[in-house]
Amino acid sequence: MTVKFTINGVGVESAAGANVLDTARRYGFEIPSLCHHEAVVPYGACRLCLVEITKGGRKKLTTCCNYEVLEGISVVTDSPAIRQHRAMVLELILAEAPDAEPVRELAKRYGVAFSRFEATRAVEGEGPRDCILCGLCARVCTEVVKADALTFNGRGDKRGVGTPYGEAADPCVGCASCASVCPTNRIAVKDTRDKREIWGRELALVRCESCGAPVMTEAHRDHAVRIGPLPADYYKTCTACKRKSLSGRLAKVGS
Amino acid sequence: MENLYVIIPRNCTGCRTCELACAMVKGHDGALGQSRIRVFPTGVDKYVQMNCLQCAEAACAKACPTQALVRNERTRAVELDAGKCIGCALCEAACPFGHIRFDRASAKPLKCDLCGGEPACAKFCPHRALEMR
Amino acid sequence: MGKIRNPKELHSYREELLAKRTASRKVIAVCCGTGCNASGARKVAQALVDEIQKQGLAKEIDVRPTGCHGFCERGTLVLMHPEETLYQRVKPEDVPAIVEKTVKNGEIIAEHLYDDPVSGEKHVKEYEIPFYKHQERLILGKNGLIDPTKIDDYIALGGYQALAKALEMGPDRVLDEVKRANVRGRGGGGFPAGRKWETCRNAGRQQNALPPSGEAREGGSVPAEKRYVICNADEGDPGAFMDRSVLEGNPHAVIEGMIIGAFTIGSDEGYVYVRHEYPLAVKHLTVALEQAREKGLLGKGILGSGLCFDIKINRGGGAFVCGESTALMASIEGKVGEPRAKHIHTVVAGLNGKPTNLNNVETWANIPLVIEKGADWYTKIGTKSSPGTKIFSLVGKVNNTGLVEVPMGMTLRQIIFDIGGGIPKGGEFKAVQTGGPSGGCLPADKLDIPVDFDTLVEQGSMMGSGGMIVMDDKTCMVDVAKYFLNFLKFESCGKCTTCREGLRRLHELVTEITEGRATLETIQLIEELAATVEAGSLCALGTTAVNPVRSTLQFFRDEYLAHVNEKRCPAGVCKALITYEITDACTGCMVCKKRCPESVISGDKKQKHVIDTAGCIKCGICNDVCKFDAVRVY
Repeated sequence: MTVKFTINGVGVESAAGANVLDTARRYGFEIPSLCHHEAVVPYGACRLCLVEITKGGRKKLTTCCNYEVLEGISVVTDSPAIRQHRAMVLELILAEAPDAEPVRELAKRYGVAFSRFEATRAVEGEGPRDCILCGLCARVCTEVVKADALTFNGRGDKRGVGTPYGEAADPCVGCASCASVCPTNRIAVKDTRDKREIWGRELALVRCESCGAPVMTEAHRDHAVRIGPLPADYYKTCTACKRKSLSGRLAKVGS
Repeated sequence: MENLYVIIPRNCTGCRTCELACAMVKGHDGALGQSRIRVFPTGVDKYVQMNCLQCAEAACAKACPTQALVRNERTRAVELDAGKCIGCALCEAACPFGHIRFDRASAKPLKCDLCGGEPACAKFCPHRALEMR
Repeated sequence: MGKIRNPKELHSYREELLAKRTASRKVIAVCCGTGCNASGARKVAQALVDEIQKQGLAKEIDVRPTGCHGFCERGTLVLMHPEETLYQRVKPEDVPAIVEKTVKNGEIIAEHLYDDPVSGEKHVKEYEIPFYKHQERLILGKNGLIDPTKIDDYIALGGYQALAKALEMGPDRVLDEVKRANVRGRGGGGFPAGRKWETCRNAGRQQNALPPSGEAREGGSVPAEKRYVICNADEGDPGAFMDRSVLEGNPHAVIEGMIIGAFTIGSDEGYVYVRHEYPLAVKHLTVALEQAREKGLLGKGILGSGLCFDIKINRGGGAFVCGESTALMASIEGKVGEPRAKHIHTVVAGLNGKPTNLNNVETWANIPLVIEKGADWYTKIGTKSSPGTKIFSLVGKVNNTGLVEVPMGMTLRQIIFDIGGGIPKGGEFKAVQTGGPSGGCLPADKLDIPVDFDTLVEQGSMMGSGGMIVMDDKTCMVDVAKYFLNFLKFESCGKCTTCREGLRRLHELVTEITEGRATLETIQLIEELAATVEAGSLCALGTTAVNPVRSTLQFFRDEYLAHVNEKRCPAGVCKALITYEITDACTGCMVCKKRCPESVISGDKKQKHVIDTAGCIKCGICNDVCKFDAVRVY
């Protein structure tokens, strides 16, 4: 079923069940966000995607990542009020994650060069200075990877995110999806020929049966085989050797 | 038969113009490492262009936990929906041929999508070693 | 007696109970709510039981431990029926004399009577005491007559008659009555309960679907779709204990209300979500539910009708945010108590994704009244926009602290002065904070506004759950704002940036003001930030968190300016900005010198003492112990 509504006066359409943010971006409207990712359920934590939505004659400032498209609503993505609140939110995020370069860049793009708040975490010396508590790492780990190795902990200004009790978590498969989706690139993944280090855990690697180079972590392979459709044979060789072998075979065919 | 991407290794001279074209069109910084297509020497004056075969039963698409690799019915290519990708690199691990490669810098795979139907590599190949028929 | 099988049996059961409880049998009700328990009420009750037994009067006198009577300032309260004689501040050692003189011979012991703090007048009858006289205790009044662990007490007073009537009326007429009565949510939102019930009832319903559960059908009823009713007993506002006293003292009123609600909405499963810190409420509610089940008032085929409904208790985990409906439901589901965006309301998709009707304890307690006496009667009480009564917890700098139940529309002045007895120790009224951490502070020129949902909002505050904190001239309004921000900063779930970071920064900025480190820019930044916290937060905790600082800035701006421009705290509270000094009234008695924990007071006997301000930590002990009022704080 198609839903028709307007964004900044422009008529748009979307499939029922979609959210306003994804739809707006599809049409090229620029709305900032940090905690949004299409692969996981919208969370509404960062508050950067605030827009004005008028429904049934009533206008409300609301996040649009978790707002399901509705027939006849009108969405406004830019106004003095939106700019004012968005700038304040950016000041807050800048101050809580003073070391996060991507946040500084995003803030600059929206006209916020510095924050009037002191760059401190709730408890000085505690916690990272580049985490914005968007939860993407934990949400992806739980909802998509289904390893459930990361979680939010604490409440209020003591909130944090990471492995339970900050200890190396057994369920972690070392896929590093958390590092891929983190908007501030703060999750450290250290790959050596012998192992992968992530979240305080050392994980053994599957070694290419041709050359011994790393393919992926053993835990990730076992996990993918267990919950995915492909058997373990797919995960035995490294990319370079796979291509070498295929190019050899194609060479015989082509001549 | 239309929209068929044809690789003819016999005509390939190893000039690697295809790699340059791909990197400039599809890459995010134009560096050659971003090219989806790679040319491999297989003997004296012999080369094979290695590019995604857009498998009918694509292992990358099957392995992907978010269904971010989806076939485009018009071009018949398997395309990456970057918004859905979580950067887990299972696609790279699963591809039996080593064509889809995970780019750590952008945390996304480098996936050939036949440039929406007019692949740059075929357009720029001087030796008719790559064709859309 | 086993299950009561139909409304007629309920009537006759009640008749039997009344016959047994003859008018000549006296009842001594001892308030055993949590407040009076802390004053030793259980010991008083036990002493009474023992003494009555010893005197051989057990057959004629019933010593009944009850729930909270409301007059917490004067606990332990002992109320003697039918004379309605009230003794206050009773101790166990007072009991033998009370039994000998008052119980046996009707002689009043003057020292136990209430004495007015202003006029000094004493009162014998509870209903003559100004604190009680001006109240209309439709809900709390029964607390003085019910032992909450005995369902018979509730039934004897007419309990569950409203349920019987509702079953006969049918769900449509009950809904109509609740809508006409315009019962508004007593938990803080003030949303019309009837409208909420109706939306929940109709949620997910298709044309020609099965009728809602509860209509009398052969062999029990089948719900068209799963619906839940919830009682929100998470009562987290600091200083609020209305819901606690209703649950402790008269749990059946809430249960009866919920059963009527379930019948109307079409629900078979109910929850009471009680905050963890209310063990007595949980205990009494558990006993009440058990006894209701035994009597066939909960479970399958209630009072012989097709209605099947039961209630479970869910205990909170110590989080204020779980009073928010979506966080509460997440908590019941076993998830972390975090709110979600309410683009789709919980009446449509709530607990477990099903239509859920959530109401506050006091709202549910109003329902049996509405059904029993009718909407026409109910709407005559209170105001047009806010009918009925409201229980307030009147606390702070007021003489008569406790729970007061008044008709909506009574003015703040009447509540604080006529009922509350005014400000103690000759202090001057400065402000009253209503609505807890979500509410605002109203100054003296607002004392004559009628208290109802809409007027309070118009004037810059809100009703909230009913907290009413009175403040005098020794209260610093900046400090009050700081207190509430600190509370909410701690209780925020931490999910959204505006609340988690915004409240933390607001608290930082207000603290700067109290420590003399602020400038006018600080105030401006507070106002800008507050606007964003209000506009951008995910749930009502965040959006209303700005009300205390906003309202104090609006009504007490000069106090803020004194802190900022003059580095002075006019109320003498903010430690960094005050100085303790000994005046000429000093007699040199040396008491403060001995008690000073920092030993910074010097001076010999009969010599005026001096405080060395460099070492003074402003603990205030010298001021507390000085009998000559010789310590000045400025």
